[in-house]
Amino acid sequence: MTLGIFLRHLRRESRGSRGRLVFFVACLAAGVASVVAVAGFSEGLDRGIRSEAKTLLAADLAVRGRQPIPVGVEAAIDKIAGAERTGVREMLTLVAAGQAPEEADNQHPSRSLLVELKGIDGRYPFYGELELEPSTDLDVLLNDRSAVVAPEVLTRLGLGVGDEMRIGGESFEIRGVVKREPDRITGAMSLGPRVLVSAAGLDRANLEQLGSRVNYRTLVRLPAERDGDIDTIVAELAGLLETDGRHRIETYTEAQPALRKGLRRVSSYLGLAALLSLLIGGLGVAQTVRAWLAGRMDSIAVLKCLGYRPREILWLYLGQTAVLGSIGSLVGVGLGIGLQMSITRLLAGALPVEHLEMWQPWSWSRGLILGVGVALLASLPPLVAAMRVPPIRVLRRDADPMPPSRLAVSGVGLALLSSLIGLATWQAGSFVVGLLFTGGLIVVAMVLGLAALGLARVATRPRERSRLWLRHGLAALDRPGASTVAGIVALGLGVLALLTMFLVEYGLSAELARDLPKDAPTAFLVDIQKDQWPGVETLLRDEQADQIESVPMVMARITAIDGRQASELRQEIEAEVETRRPGRDNREAWALRREQRLTYLDELPADNQLIAGELWGQPDVAEISVEEEFAGELGVVLGSVVTLDIQGVELDLTVTSLRKVDWGSFGINFFLVVEPGVLDDAPQTRVAAARLPEGREQQVQDRLASNFPNVTMIRTREVLEKVAAMLTQLALGVRLLGGLTVLAGLTILAGAVSAGSIRRGAEVALLKTLGMTRRQVMASFATEYALVGLVAGLIGTVGGAVLAYFVLTQGMDVTWENRPWWLVGSVAATVVLAVSSGLAASVGALRKRPIEVLRSVTG
Amino acid sequence: MTIPRLEIRRLTHRLPSGGRLLTILDAIDLSIGAGESVAILGPSGSGKSTLLALMAGLDRPTEGEVLLDGEPIHNLSEDRLAILRRRNVGFVFQNFQLLTNQTARENILLPLELASDEAAGTRADELLDQVGLADRGHHYPVQLSGGEQQRVALARAFATRPRILLADEPTGNLDGATGERVLELLADLQRQEGTTVVLVTHDASVAELTDRAVHLRDGRVERDEVVAGGDRVGYQRQVVAG
Ligand SMILES: Nc1ncnc2c1ncn2[C@@H]1O[C@H](COP(=O)(O)OP(=O)(O)O)[C@@H](O)[C@H]1O
Ligand SMILES: [Mg+2]
Repeated sequence: MTLGIFLRHLRRESRGSRGRLVFFVACLAAGVASVVAVAGFSEGLDRGIRSEAKTLLAADLAVRGRQPIPVGVEAAIDKIAGAERTGVREMLTLVAAGQAPEEADNQHPSRSLLVELKGIDGRYPFYGELELEPSTDLDVLLNDRSAVVAPEVLTRLGLGVGDEMRIGGESFEIRGVVKREPDRITGAMSLGPRVLVSAAGLDRANLEQLGSRVNYRTLVRLPAERDGDIDTIVAELAGLLETDGRHRIETYTEAQPALRKGLRRVSSYLGLAALLSLLIGGLGVAQTVRAWLAGRMDSIAVLKCLGYRPREILWLYLGQTAVLGSIGSLVGVGLGIGLQMSITRLLAGALPVEHLEMWQPWSWSRGLILGVGVALLASLPPLVAAMRVPPIRVLRRDADPMPPSRLAVSGVGLALLSSLIGLATWQAGSFVVGLLFTGGLIVVAMVLGLAALGLARVATRPRERSRLWLRHGLAALDRPGASTVAGIVALGLGVLALLTMFLVEYGLSAELARDLPKDAPTAFLVDIQKDQWPGVETLLRDEQADQIESVPMVMARITAIDGRQASELRQEIEAEVETRRPGRDNREAWALRREQRLTYLDELPADNQLIAGELWGQPDVAEISVEEEFAGELGVVLGSVVTLDIQGVELDLTVTSLRKVDWGSFGINFFLVVEPGVLDDAPQTRVAAARLPEGREQQVQDRLASNFPNVTMIRTREVLEKVAAMLTQLALGVRLLGGLTVLAGLTILAGAVSAGSIRRGAEVALLKTLGMTRRQVMASFATEYALVGLVAGLIGTVGGAVLAYFVLTQGMDVTWENRPWWLVGSVAATVVLAVSSGLAASVGALRKRPIEVLRSVTG
Repeated sequence: MTIPRLEIRRLTHRLPSGGRLLTILDAIDLSIGAGESVAILGPSGSGKSTLLALMAGLDRPTEGEVLLDGEPIHNLSEDRLAILRRRNVGFVFQNFQLLTNQTARENILLPLELASDEAAGTRADELLDQVGLADRGHHYPVQLSGGEQQRVALARAFATRPRILLADEPTGNLDGATGERVLELLADLQRQEGTTVVLVTHDASVAELTDRAVHLRDGRVERDEVVAGGDRVGYQRQVVAG
């Protein structure tokens, strides 16, 4: 057969079933539209969230550690075309007012202040806004002799812009005030207000040599076109770090722990949504093609008599499927774009939609390819069945289908399986997920198929005494050529997909709402004298602050561990560093050198988790609990004795427990926690955190300044609010996408059920001719569809609940809530859907006079 | 010795029915010469349609052989059978079996196009004219009467000048007068094209138009008689039972 003839036949063969073909196109279009809209929208959401997340890190990625960033890593960054880097060093240190170095601290104790000092070497920040006064660039204000400070520093030290301050014994001119810093906090508590200096200034202050614990960070800005390669770049840089293990790389997605979790969850959700919407679209297409071909059986038999080869039949219909698939996909892409545009309109205020790119040829062609691919795949099984239509059907309508060719069946099976895994992998972005998804589908489809066969068998039991419509409805499940099995499998899988979408969407958006830092403090107060605390607390309560937390803080120095002097240990560690093997001994000299801040507590806060030992379990020993990572850096284990020097008084404490701390919880936490009672009389201050009502911060600050001038308040609301806003946006996006997919899915499923019932017009006509009333016909059909809906609904619901459970608890780390009524509702909804869409398809035939239908069928 | 156009040897067909095998055709021998027209007669259920289907390779016999011009066709693959039917076998059915979504002319064109006939269009128009439907070519089957549909089916069956034309109760769905006109047309075309025709019917009067009548009963050939010009002459061949 020549191509011309083939095309001509293709065109002619498509006549007469246009109604059904429109339906096919509609089904596919709905599926593709949701794929395109979900893809485009999620990309936009992702991009929007990411670009905001970058501001929280002030960079695309950062390499950080407690040792200077290796030269090799910096060289590698410089090799990335268009990349920029800025070195940042941060440390806690005391600063003081005044100029003369000879003016000693202790003469004006209230005029020194613990600050978070940050030395910047290069452009800063890459993303987000650094709000300065005067408003200019940071490098205009900073040189090796100047500093920019937080307003609290000025208040506390009684200084103004233009005054001198001392950092590490050197003088710095205060050239400006920093009001907002994009990467100010990352979830851990703040212990002092900000002071910014240049790298040269920090070197001049010579603090590193004085034993401060320094955090080194290199901020990296990537050129925009490399944004997608960030994971590769991170992996490359991480490869260079492997040998020392003391640095790590953070990307903007990790800037905020709550946000990081949210982003990770949402991106798995988006993958799931794309996968399931595709599955539902495929089911719709499969059912439509099946129904369409069922109506073409006679024609196929005639074609075969006239000399069509089976494979030419396959090509003929596959060709039509491809044409229809392309039309449906094109329409779907158009619809998807429309949807995206309406979303943008609707949510202009609530979502970062300015990042929604309308021109997305890639996502469109993806929609097209997926649409055509799914259409072809979904129609393969019914088409292979069509190949088997026996030509003898022209003589005897009930002729058995020809035995399937083993080659064809295994070929199609293999093609189907591999394409399914392929498409699933593509959509989910992971081969393992694709494989699991496909496997799960096959298992559920098999269970559904078996249940359908069981139902058909039960339906054939003799039941003479039951009502006519009931008997007929049951018998219909087992009539020759009934598509009970296919219908139940399709509906069941559809219900599974929809319920999964629904449950995951609900669980995830609830979890995102739970993750909002609702209870996180919006301000930290430091340097509160012990006897000032009641006053400060009253002041805070007076200002309607809640979530007030406060702990004592004692400054100490470690003088010995297990009887060995700190100086001796330090030398040992420093000697060792040269020859140290990676990853093993991570003792750090600075841990022994610096001033330690510790607290004493009865019970551990919620964000602390005991991982070894017991808290305050030994009445006769003075106990200390150490954060596990810090324990490694000190080189202590359970049972070690740590000797502390607290302002001249030496104290032996035994390590009796190790803790893991969630530093991202915004709470107050310490590396070292001492048993209560031991330090009650030691010189101490208090640190507090509180959640202030919005807009009260300035007032609180003013009142503190006049009543407790030594207390410093550090505000954190801005960052918190940014995180909260982003989480809210994510939740809204999830809601929206879920709603979209579920809606499209319901439409398609209703369509699939109707598609299977459209060609029952002849049956309706016959039943009416034989004297059944319309009511009886309806009741009979309703019985049949209700049973189909019940079986599909039960299995689909169980499958969906199981899938949702695993996706939520394993994939997204979201807690699962049992909602049995929802599952009952899902089954009931399936029955309603099946009955209503099944009957809807027969309404036309019920309304017509029987003769109209019968004539057109036999003619 | 000339090779018969169609030869059937010990053709047996059994089908499972109600848990046991039902013998529908029982060791049938039949030989049909080129250009011959044969009526297969018998009561309903005697196996006529089954025999016809086996002759065209629409079904596979349980036992026995079917040879078209000496070539066995009972063991050909689906594809080979399809290609064989394309050029060599024409069909006419009781319920016409026109493709409902194609016009009269397109129905006639289809086998010609399948056989890659260069002059498909001319041939189709010529046939439409011959069956008296020259101006109805653009009509769909639903727009034609039963008789007209069957005439289109005849034109389609003769289109490729098949070696053998098989007709199953071609007048079964038509009223007497219309049926007769269709049969006359069939006879005309057969004479013109010299086609071998096998015509299944339970109506003895239909058989009067053919050269020969084979009577089936319970899956066996009961009688095989040669008819000439409407008068029964010549011999009556007694068939060995077995
Ligand atoms: N697929 C089948 N299953 C069971 N019985 C069949 C089948 N096909 C034909 N038969 C039976 O074979 C017999 C012959 O059928 P058929 O060839 O159609 O007879 P005719 O055309 O002479 O009326 C009939 O009794 C019919 O019921
Ligand atoms: Mg018959």
